[in-house]
Amino acid sequence: MTDDATRTLGKGSIPPGPVPEGVIRLYSMRFCPYAHRTRLVLRAKGIRHEVININLRNKPEWYFTKHPFGQIPVLENSKCQLIYESVIACEYLDDAYPGRKLYPYDPYERARQKMLLELFYKVPHLTKECLVALRCGRDCADLKLALRQEFCNLEEILGYQNTVFFGGDCISMIDYLFWPWFERLDVYGIADCVNHTPTLRLWIAAMKQDPTVCSLLTDKNTFLGFLNLYFQNNPAAFDYGLSC
Amino acid sequence: MSGGTVRSLGKGSAPPGPVPEGLIRVYSMRFCPFAKRTLLVLRAKGIRHEVININLKNKPEWFFKKNPLGLVPVLETSLGQLICESAITCEYLDEAYPGKKLWPEDPYEKACQKMVFESFSKMPSLMISFLRTQNKEDCSGLKEELHKEFSKLEEVLTNKKTTFFGGSSLSMIDYLIWPWFEWLEALELNEYVDHTPNLKLWMASMRKDPTVSSLLTDVKTFQGFFNLYMQNSPEACDYGL
Repeated sequence: MTDDATRTLGKGSIPPGPVPEGVIRLYSMRFCPYAHRTRLVLRAKGIRHEVININLRNKPEWYFTKHPFGQIPVLENSKCQLIYESVIACEYLDDAYPGRKLYPYDPYERARQKMLLELFYKVPHLTKECLVALRCGRDCADLKLALRQEFCNLEEILGYQNTVFFGGDCISMIDYLFWPWFERLDVYGIADCVNHTPTLRLWIAAMKQDPTVCSLLTDKNTFLGFLNLYFQNNPAAFDYGLSC
Repeated sequence: MSGGTVRSLGKGSAPPGPVPEGLIRVYSMRFCPFAKRTLLVLRAKGIRHEVININLKNKPEWFFKKNPLGLVPVLETSLGQLICESAITCEYLDEAYPGKKLWPEDPYEKACQKMVFESFSKMPSLMISFLRTQNKEDCSGLKEELHKEFSKLEEVLTNKKTTFFGGSSLSMIDYLIWPWFEWLEALELNEYVDHTPNLKLWMASMRKDPTVSSLLTDVKTFQGFFNLYMQNSPEACDYGL
């Protein structure tokens, strides 16, 4: 059971109080890949945090004071400072908190990770489109082809670098920023999109061995339960799998 | 500026040699707003550099080895390292070189500037669309969208109560968004900041900055470039030389 296993807050809920000192708060949703990035970084850096899950189909009115469009993830600290956009939130955490740095120290290596992130930009949209198409019974051969092409580009990078992870021989920020979509390939029904990319499959296997990634893995049945309800437009989807 | 070329290099040109030690090279184009970001940062930080302009309407074959997408700006170091994407080049320069830091030291202030930058992301494509529909009737939709974007930026300045987007002095975020505001006069869109007084004041303050003013392109030259560029002329990138 991860630390974000709490019921979502929706319309009519009481706004949460200020964030206690020594803790940072994350507004999240258990199945959101963007928020997943931030949860990975919080866990990897051992940052004391609390999670408030938001019902994205029934957003609390007060939530729009945290984000103008009610999106997640959003970080809120005890000084009432708000940070949003998943990549900005992850970088903020790496900058603001001590301990293990997830971005490299070397400016060129940092730039390389940011260039790699640019290379990844089509993946979230394509994986989502595949999911929606499959769930609606539509053909998604073209989408899968496009996704496979993106994966080929990533495969090429790993091949050229000859490293296990995208940042080198150890896991680093870029790997955490990519991971959420790869974790979802199977449950979205598109795991065959990595059939032709063996190095990428090795990366996936290596990621699954990382303690941080492991500790936040969502079990397949819970995810499927969420997806089923989500595609039925059931607002209870977001709390699927929580006891009582 | 040593070893750089003002006239752009095009197809059939000889690839440039390695970058001499102690210098960094930027592949650029005189009128590209994305490349202008990098030039502003190089100048603001006093970084020794050379500029090689690329003819974007007639790209040299060797340039695709510097950036497979064939886009400017690209930085090349004397170690042969290549950095692409304007925002990434600017951040690299700020981190790799000493002197005045353009990104704030405080992680939250830096995150705020990045959030403003994120909200600016629609502007470049809007301005390009505007440029493309210049001579056609309906740009009222575009004008409305542009107005919305300006209002967003105005709100940031109003809330912060400062002259610049990062505070009372110029910083990275100001340099990152400036190049599109330099286009306003050339595109005859100046009146759009009449409704956004803080933004108008910001523009005036930017023009007074020594770095910005040293890299200003005059309106007539811009317009000459736009005309030729929209006609896909290979002479566009060297207009005014």
